[in-house]
Amino acid sequence: MSEHVVLFAGPMGSGKTTAIRSLSEIDVVSTEATNTDRETADKETTTVALDYGEITIDDVTKVRLYGVPGQKRFDFMWSILAGRARGLLLLINNDAPDSVALLLEYLNNFRDLHSRGAVVIGVTKSDVSDAPSVADYSAALTAASPDQLIPVFTVDPRNAEEMRTLLLTLVASVEMRELLAPAPAPISEKI
Amino acid sequence: MNLTPAPVATMASHLNPVHIDAGNRTLAEMQDLASSLTFASLLTDDGFEIVHLNGTHADGGRFASMSSSVQALSDAVAHELKIGTNEYVIIASELGHVIQLRVQGHPIVLAALFDTHETLGKGLSIARIAARRMAELIA
Ligand SMILES: Nc1nc2c(ncn2[C@@H]2O[C@H](COP(=O)(O)OP(=O)(O)OP(=O)(O)O)[C@@H](O)[C@H]2O)c(=O)[nH]1
Ligand SMILES: [Mg+2]
Repeated sequence: MSEHVVLFAGPMGSGKTTAIRSLSEIDVVSTEATNTDRETADKETTTVALDYGEITIDDVTKVRLYGVPGQKRFDFMWSILAGRARGLLLLINNDAPDSVALLLEYLNNFRDLHSRGAVVIGVTKSDVSDAPSVADYSAALTAASPDQLIPVFTVDPRNAEEMRTLLLTLVASVEMRELLAPAPAPISEKI
Repeated sequence: MNLTPAPVATMASHLNPVHIDAGNRTLAEMQDLASSLTFASLLTDDGFEIVHLNGTHADGGRFASMSSSVQALSDAVAHELKIGTNEYVIIASELGHVIQLRVQGHPIVLAALFDTHETLGKGLSIARIAARRMAELIA
């Protein structure tokens, strides 16, 4: 049985916890706290340490799913958890102010993981706000790093099938990278 | 883990003058009980600092975020092992003890750092008195 560790990151309210709950086959470990920052994301709770779930994707591949808090105040958790992962699923909520710049900012926060692993972007809440488009994000990503092709999808984290497609894309990409350049065991890193 | 989140106060605690005032009183009284208290903070469950004491020892904002993560992870462990409500978190280190506990009935955590001149038992009892005092003042 092979194993992968995948990190779900992105701004507050982009749907990381929701996505892991949709995907996981085990009871998720969650660390939700009463949310006092209703301005950034109007929801009852927010993640303050991590989410953890597991999914088996083709009977022989187990994927460990870690979610981080979206708020930058918790970036020490980003460092701790990014060190374990080889894949990054970056969720960006389309209704966030200046969401294209925000995506680049979050991607930059995880550049170490990006440089040694695979990245897939999921644009969420496109039912809430229909702009910008996937093409807008892709263009910005290409402009920021012309030598890399990062796939961008729209996805609804509440929908397990859609999330599964995204995850399979990421895992395929992680496996491809491992074939091309076997990496040393993941180490704890500083973002 | 906070499966049933405590009710959100009409105003976030770290912006609420009543909570800030009560927090300052609580921590000052706590200091009177223990000179070994090197740092203390009251924070919201989601890691915003409400007040702190002896700020020179630590970056209050960062400490509040970390305390909130530690509290939630400990709650998650207690939940996973089905061992009931998590009452205290203790980090016992070479040069000090961190003790954390919730203020009953509010989405607020008390976190205190004692130097090793204090026994863990005394630290716990002082922290418990302070958490109860805070609950009383904002009831
Ligand atoms: N309409 C709509 N709602 C969505 C979509 N994706 C997520 N949501 C909702 O948005 C909220 C997302 O909340 P979380 O999953 O807690 O977000 P998070 O990214 O874990 O946030 P933090 O832990 O606070 O950083 C949930 O209430 C979801 O039901 C979407 O595509 N469309
Ligand atoms: Mg979350």
